[in-house]
Amino acid sequence: MKASQRALLVAAIAVAVSAVVRVRGKGPVPPTSGGWRELQGPDFR
Amino acid sequence: MTSVLVVGLGETGVRAARQLLDTPGVDRVTVAARSAPRARAVAQALHDGAESYVVDDEFAIPEGIDAVAAAVPPEADVALVRAAVDRGIPYASVGDDPAAVRALLDLDATARARGVRVVAGCGLAPGLSDVLVRHAGDLLDSVDEVHVARFGIGGPACAAVARRALREPNCEWRDGAFVHDRHRGDELIWFPDPVDARECALVATGVELLAESTPGVERVTARLGVPPARRIPTPSLVSPRSRSRALDASFGAMRAEVWGWRGPARDTVVYGVIERTAVAAGTVLGVATAWLAGALPEVGDGAPGASGLGTAVKPVPLLAELARRGVKAAVFEGVAIA
Repeated sequence: MKASQRALLVAAIAVAVSAVVRVRGKGPVPPTSGGWRELQGPDFR
Repeated sequence: MTSVLVVGLGETGVRAARQLLDTPGVDRVTVAARSAPRARAVAQALHDGAESYVVDDEFAIPEGIDAVAAAVPPEADVALVRAAVDRGIPYASVGDDPAAVRALLDLDATARARGVRVVAGCGLAPGLSDVLVRHAGDLLDSVDEVHVARFGIGGPACAAVARRALREPNCEWRDGAFVHDRHRGDELIWFPDPVDARECALVATGVELLAESTPGVERVTARLGVPPARRIPTPSLVSPRSRSRALDASFGAMRAEVWGWRGPARDTVVYGVIERTAVAAGTVLGVATAWLAGALPEVGDGAPGASGLGTAVKPVPLLAELARRGVKAAVFEGVAIA
């Protein structure tokens, strides 16, 4: 196999792996925009 | 007559004694230290009839004590709890040194045999953090990840333990096992105002107690941030923002992030607390001790054995009691931005 073909194969595998990781790793993210509210009576029921 | 003994009169111990003196149902508070002048001075400063006691090398506990509150270094903590359990006296400790906490938990069988309750980690984190994690868990169907962070120290003794925790390998609970690692993984943690964002490193502090009090959890991490020992020299030489960060050195903060499932959706609950570290820890220790002495029966059932605070108490009554005393938790309400 020529070096250029080998490089193409490696690049294709890298793209495929990164796509899988990106899709599988796409979970919920923690709240990053908002504020703090003091716990009140209803929170203690 | 309900009598309690507070051993260790540093920043946290003194505040625990104050809370106990202010608790209806606690009739006598004895404050103990190794130094007689220190014990006498604290008893006089507290007023309200606090009595002083000098702790000897044998950690002998005076007669008529219904519960012990300990705010002492790790070695003394282990010796004192053994003396208390031998006498059948309930024991609450604010200590967070992992080895000392393990030593307290190892007394579970002995405590059960003697019909006495031992509660480890009755501070800000571990302690209040564990209770908030359980409270968050009650809002979710299941919990799989818990991440707790604390910024701040109670006093010099607490600082020494915290700095040691930052030097020692960290510990995570991962898939049913404790994983020790030297990797610190410093991360910026966002606490409520005025502490805001602080860099915190992974530590072993409190991980075992959180794993114990959260059945089925897959991952538990604990992070700790310690304010710099050096104070900013003069206000005129620093920017207003730097000044505010320097002046809040006694303030501490805690953040508990709990991940789990609510129905088919993955969800998170984030709680935080801002308070002077010694005040929060002392209040938690005081309330836990008052409960062990029988003065706050609604906080828990007091079944014998050794455990952390998160396992021992009912979250809602404890949080309500702490809020009534000024130690208030907050919940983060926000939206996820991918």
